[in-house]
Amino acid sequence: MANHEETPEEKPETATTVPREKAAFGMPLIKGLANTLSHILRNEPNTIHYPAEKRTPFPGYRGEHRLKRDELGREKCVACFLCSTACPAHCIEIVAEEAPWGDREKRPRLFNIDMMRCIYCGMCEEACPCDAIELTPVYNIPSRSRGEKIYNKEKLLSL
Amino acid sequence: MSDSNSTVRWTLNGTEVENEAGMTIMEAAKVHGVDIPQFCYHPGLSIAGNCRICMVESNRSPKPVISCSERIAEGLEIKTQSEVAVDARNSVMEFQLINHPLDCPVCDKAGECVLQDHSYEHGPDRSRFVEDKNIRHTKELGPTIDIWGNRCIVCTRCVRFCDEISGTGELCVVERGDRSVVDVFPGVPIDNSLAGNTVDICPVGALISSDFKYEARVWNMDKTSSVCGGCSRGCNVEVETLDGFVKRLTPRENLDVNDWWMCDHGRYGWRHLYADSRLEGAQHDGQAVSPTGTSGALHQLLSSSSSTAFLVDPFMTCEELHLVRSIANSLGGSTIAGWLPAAGTEENFPGGFKISADKHPNRKGAEHVLGGDLFTTSADQLKSALSNGSIDTLVAFVGGDGFEGAGGEWNDLISKAGKRIVFATQQGSWCEGADLVIPATAPLEKEGVWVNEDDRAQRTRSCRSLTSNHFPSELVVLQELQVHMEQRNRPLSAAGIFRELSEASDAFSGHSHSSLGDSGSPLSQRPAAMSSEGGQS
Ligand code: SF4
Ligand code: SF4
Ligand code: SF4
Ligand code: SF4
Ligand code: FES
Repeated sequence: MANHEETPEEKPETATTVPREKAAFGMPLIKGLANTLSHILRNEPNTIHYPAEKRTPFPGYRGEHRLKRDELGREKCVACFLCSTACPAHCIEIVAEEAPWGDREKRPRLFNIDMMRCIYCGMCEEACPCDAIELTPVYNIPSRSRGEKIYNKEKLLSL
Repeated sequence: MSDSNSTVRWTLNGTEVENEAGMTIMEAAKVHGVDIPQFCYHPGLSIAGNCRICMVESNRSPKPVISCSERIAEGLEIKTQSEVAVDARNSVMEFQLINHPLDCPVCDKAGECVLQDHSYEHGPDRSRFVEDKNIRHTKELGPTIDIWGNRCIVCTRCVRFCDEISGTGELCVVERGDRSVVDVFPGVPIDNSLAGNTVDICPVGALISSDFKYEARVWNMDKTSSVCGGCSRGCNVEVETLDGFVKRLTPRENLDVNDWWMCDHGRYGWRHLYADSRLEGAQHDGQAVSPTGTSGALHQLLSSSSSTAFLVDPFMTCEELHLVRSIANSLGGSTIAGWLPAAGTEENFPGGFKISADKHPNRKGAEHVLGGDLFTTSADQLKSALSNGSIDTLVAFVGGDGFEGAGGEWNDLISKAGKRIVFATQQGSWCEGADLVIPATAPLEKEGVWVNEDDRAQRTRSCRSLTSNHFPSELVVLQELQVHMEQRNRPLSAAGIFRELSEASDAFSGHSHSSLGDSGSPLSQRPAAMSSEGGQS
């Protein structure tokens, strides 16, 4: 390492790359303009008539959350708080209570997600050890009040 | 090796080091910054040497040795990171986990679990165990303690605690081999005044306090280093809160006061903070007073008074008492007396832990600030003055958990004063008909210094419970009163008031909040660098 003598030679080498980039500058610009022009001339809409026409979300699209149920219809969530711990927006509020069923200890008494703070990153889904929470592809979730944007347990389970 | 020389030269990870003779390898290594993992070892308990996680390689033994019980010796060579040592730890971890349920997501210990930490640091990342795991009992061991047997690693810390520290011996290990688990004898639940400590020292989530069960995940809570106000021992505690609600109290190590322990009375004694009868706003003749208007109302009442007496309580901090003294002095000719809550019973335990009979934290401090006859002669004088009606205005402090007020006799006497100003934590007969009722902070909500029965000054810090966020503390109200009385320009922090106190009083001279630090100091032991430290507030 100490007698590494090539270092001073590297400078001119990088300097030579600049003219090459300059030379390549004109062509992509013309290509881009041609592309734009062809679309203008073709006169086809590239947007969709949104409320009337709906696009199928791409696979893995992260929209509105839901809480899943197990085969007996009980919530899968065990109130471990891992989703709320992982959540970078701190928008999941959980209060645990003892589960009435023998096969688990806890369940959420309260499970609120503040959809206005959520950044739809999907960390909650990844953190969950029980596969109890997921982000559905539902993206059109307007509401008339802020209160409606706090999804509680019942709402999350019904989705 | 056997000469009277008390230091021993030995080699730790290739470096020659020196330690006092008689230390264990684990203790000596810690001095040199090498932490060796441990499950069964606890500095407050006897050495059991049963978990084997602390194994290290030694030049004196063909097999690795356990560093928690092996002592250092001249010429001993210990390696904690050699292949043998790492492999030994790895195998112990794998062994500990074969029957462990790994239910960390629903385990209340998760986040402060020694097994989790060691598994992360020293354990293999997968298990080769394909058989079914053992199922052991999950049940109540006593009114406050539940056991999740599956999680128990049979370190016997809890068993040794009950044998050696509380001396009650309720717990024992039943069954053998991989079925061993901690249990109690039928009909003998674990129900002693120190039982809660077993939950703290359990390295895993096997022992769970039924009070804290499912209440919060430990990493979400805020911690405040404070002092318990339950008795005049002044155990150092950590108050853990979630969104302004106290969730649990745990002991904080202080070898001069409470070692690693605290009693259950103090541990579970915080619910009064959220009692329905808790006062949250000031009232002037039954009308609500705004938090900012409290001191004005107080000033108005005091300035029209011909003779004023102050009745203080032993829950007040030295700073609050100092403010009362200077206010009383400037009013001229005021009496100050104190009331004491009913005495409890003293309890002593074989492990050296003591629960004091004085059920209040600051009698000593109050006597230092306001005179040794505060609770005796002065109290008697005030009693007779109140009963013959010669007190025009009484300012009474009714703090503590506050359910009993100042005790039967005082509660009656308080109502005999012409005008009454009551600082109280709870509503009750002592507030009825008072001219001004001001909400008071309870223990765990106070900022300041308490002096325990051994004359040790310790800082108690406010856990900022949601309740105490609704009103200014006495420390603020009393200082605002001084501002109204033109005695002070602006309110100071508790540290600033303590500085005034240490300048005014011999007992406290030389001490400051920063010199008392987290663990406090005996009042007789003055810090060396007093002048430089007194400067910060
Ligand atoms: S998607 Fe991200 S931001 Fe939204 S709740 Fe989950 S973790 Fe939090
Ligand atoms: S991580 Fe899953 S199981 Fe845990 S609280 Fe969140 S939704 Fe419930
Ligand atoms: S005892 Fe520790 S390792 Fe075991 S489940 Fe609880 S947190 Fe996890
Ligand atoms: S209950 Fe906890 S402290 Fe007691 S032996 Fe088991 S693991 Fe150790
Ligand atoms: S800590 Fe040494 S054997 Fe358990």
